[in-house]
Amino acid sequence: MINIIQVILSFGILLVGVYSYRRLRSSYLDAILIFGFVLIGLLFVFFPELSNKVAHFVGVSRGADMIFYISIVFFAFIVMKLYAKIRRLEATITDLVRKESINDASDNVSEKK
Amino acid sequence: MKKTDVYIIVPAFNEEPVIGDTLKELLLLDYSIVVIDDASTDNTGNIVKKLPVAYVRHKVNLGQGAAIQTGISYALQKGADYFVTFDADGQHSPSDIAVLLQKLKNDSLDFIFGSRFAADTKTEIRGSRKIVLQIARYLNFLLTGILLSDAHNGLRAFSKKAAESIHISENRMAHATEFLLLVKKNKLKYAEVPVQIRYTDYSKKKGQKNFHSFKVLQDILLHKIFR
Repeated sequence: MINIIQVILSFGILLVGVYSYRRLRSSYLDAILIFGFVLIGLLFVFFPELSNKVAHFVGVSRGADMIFYISIVFFAFIVMKLYAKIRRLEATITDLVRKESINDASDNVSEKK
Repeated sequence: MKKTDVYIIVPAFNEEPVIGDTLKELLLLDYSIVVIDDASTDNTGNIVKKLPVAYVRHKVNLGQGAAIQTGISYALQKGADYFVTFDADGQHSPSDIAVLLQKLKNDSLDFIFGSRFAADTKTEIRGSRKIVLQIARYLNFLLTGILLSDAHNGLRAFSKKAAESIHISENRMAHATEFLLLVKKNKLKYAEVPVQIRYTDYSKKKGQKNFHSFKVLQDILLHKIFR
């Protein structure tokens, strides 16, 4: 018996997997990692008892809780990475605007004094 | 020292009502002046371009910190020996510049901070702003290890050595703290000099709201984490 949530989740996982694979086709390592994550995700979706077993092993009572905890840390990490990237981007733009503005500077000190 | 080797860096963003007067007052002193127009959308640019000053314009608005750094880079390129930052809204008194520069040279220091709270200043300041500035002082101390009597004062003077070793990366208002960090990091010799702040109705309206300090604090903390 397959639940609706299992259909939604597996569809989502496959979608993210295919999308990431298309974006990061560059190396075999990426492909293996993505394939691994998709596989683990699908396993947990279709065999929820499996996640419970892993959870018990690491000292969490429910599999869903364990995945919740891991996701929080994971997303906090992603937010940090994205923020660092935004700052780098801002620094690049600043650099660009600064260089251009100095090149185009008008200095009418000599003309008007 | 040639007076033209002193560069007054004036960051300006939409200062149309006052920029003309501020610059005319400064021009009487015969220093070199560079105005950094941070993509103003009013008439600031046209007013500045008519005066005998250097005019640099950011194509997009980056913030006061970025504008000051652009001014420093520009002045360095022009061979400046001394650097002064001066707010465009007319809150500083031009006669203080000479005092700052004199202290810088006589005591062979690298960096002078203007302070409205150092001894014998006559600045009138309203209560809530005073408290915010006091808190900011001690936060700056916690974050940088430097305790000044004033936390965010736009009037500063520094040497070529300081200008070369400093690069402001905080584009918005956290640059005031970043100056402290960089002074500390580069082991620059610094001092505070009392200066006057003229709180006009314009500068009060244009100036920082107290609430805004939370945003500045956020930028400072992120700066600490990410760099």
